[in-house]
Amino acid sequence: MANVLTICGSLRKKSYNAALVRALPALVPDGMVLTAAPRVDTMPHYNHDDQEATGFPLSVNAFADAIRGADGVIIVSPEYNWTIPGTLKNAIDWVSRMKDQPFKDKPVALQSASGALLGGSRMQYHLRQCLTSIDALIFGRPEVIVTFAPQKFDAETLELKDQATRDMIKLQLAGFAKFIERVRAK
Amino acid sequence: MADKLNVITIAGSLRKGSFNAALARQLPKWAPEGMAITQAPPWGDIPTYNADDQNSTGFPASVTRFADAIRAADGVIIVSPEYNYGVPGGLKNAVDWVSRVKDQPFKDKPVAIQSVAGGPLGGGRVQYQWRQICVFLEALAFLRPEVFVGMAASKFDEKTLEFKDEAGINFIKQQLAGFEKFIRKVTGKA
Repeated sequence: MANVLTICGSLRKKSYNAALVRALPALVPDGMVLTAAPRVDTMPHYNHDDQEATGFPLSVNAFADAIRGADGVIIVSPEYNWTIPGTLKNAIDWVSRMKDQPFKDKPVALQSASGALLGGSRMQYHLRQCLTSIDALIFGRPEVIVTFAPQKFDAETLELKDQATRDMIKLQLAGFAKFIERVRAK
Repeated sequence: MADKLNVITIAGSLRKGSFNAALARQLPKWAPEGMAITQAPPWGDIPTYNADDQNSTGFPASVTRFADAIRAADGVIIVSPEYNYGVPGGLKNAVDWVSRVKDQPFKDKPVAIQSVAGGPLGGGRVQYQWRQICVFLEALAFLRPEVFVGMAASKFDEKTLEFKDEAGINFIKQQLAGFEKFIRKVTGKA
């Protein structure tokens, strides 16, 4: 049994990445339950002075608690300007300063979708670099990099239709379940 | 006498006592004669990027102001801390907004990068992330000399935040002099 939190890096309604998150419950292995994290746009821009003066905002605490309470985290994010969306990074910047830092020793898997041929992979490797700094346990392969998104999602419903992509996601989620099981503190 | 170049600094940290903001404020002291350095408008009040908001209400005034300042400058110097081995989310969000603006202000804009950090690498990891972002933006990222200020606490005055490190100041002077030449070469500005 694994409770897994999904974090979405895009805020717009018709986001392919948000659609990807919605596709996941049908593809999880037995025993994996997904919950959506609070939205990342609930947090102010990180400012150490604010942290010192008024502490961590409630929105940051809620986000951190959700991560702490999960057995694993899946970050599903677009690539903005060849790297991590600022808003998602800002959320990570906030929780990284917390005592009992929530990503420490937390299994994390990554997924991304984009309209073009690299599928957000440049963002994923930057995210791996940043997650290294906060001691997350980053899942290796298979990677989920959804290229040419408009061909793979239904234009109206945004349902993920591409069978090869669905199969790859199933493989990743099954592997991630095993990874969580393996690294979980006994 | 050539025209003075108008260069703006963008500091990546919002805290008052930031070493990066302190360095950005002090750069005019070390600018070559042909370069005037001023600070970009603040980006702290730019909301989180959401394409739905952009489509429904357009670009916020804070974004337009930031973009206009970049567009009007002959060059930009980003002085950025490293957060979690990467770019600070707050400033990245500002860049995400301006990257969507028509007549995208970073296109063909000369950009130099500096970073200050408490550790020994001085923000090395964040600078290469900025360079990758510059590729997308079609900014003209200045190459060398690079300015990495490591072990920051030992190099700034504790009270005034004056940057006192002689070797660091020399690197900065060399970078700014090189950046002036680079700007004149790539923009054709006399």
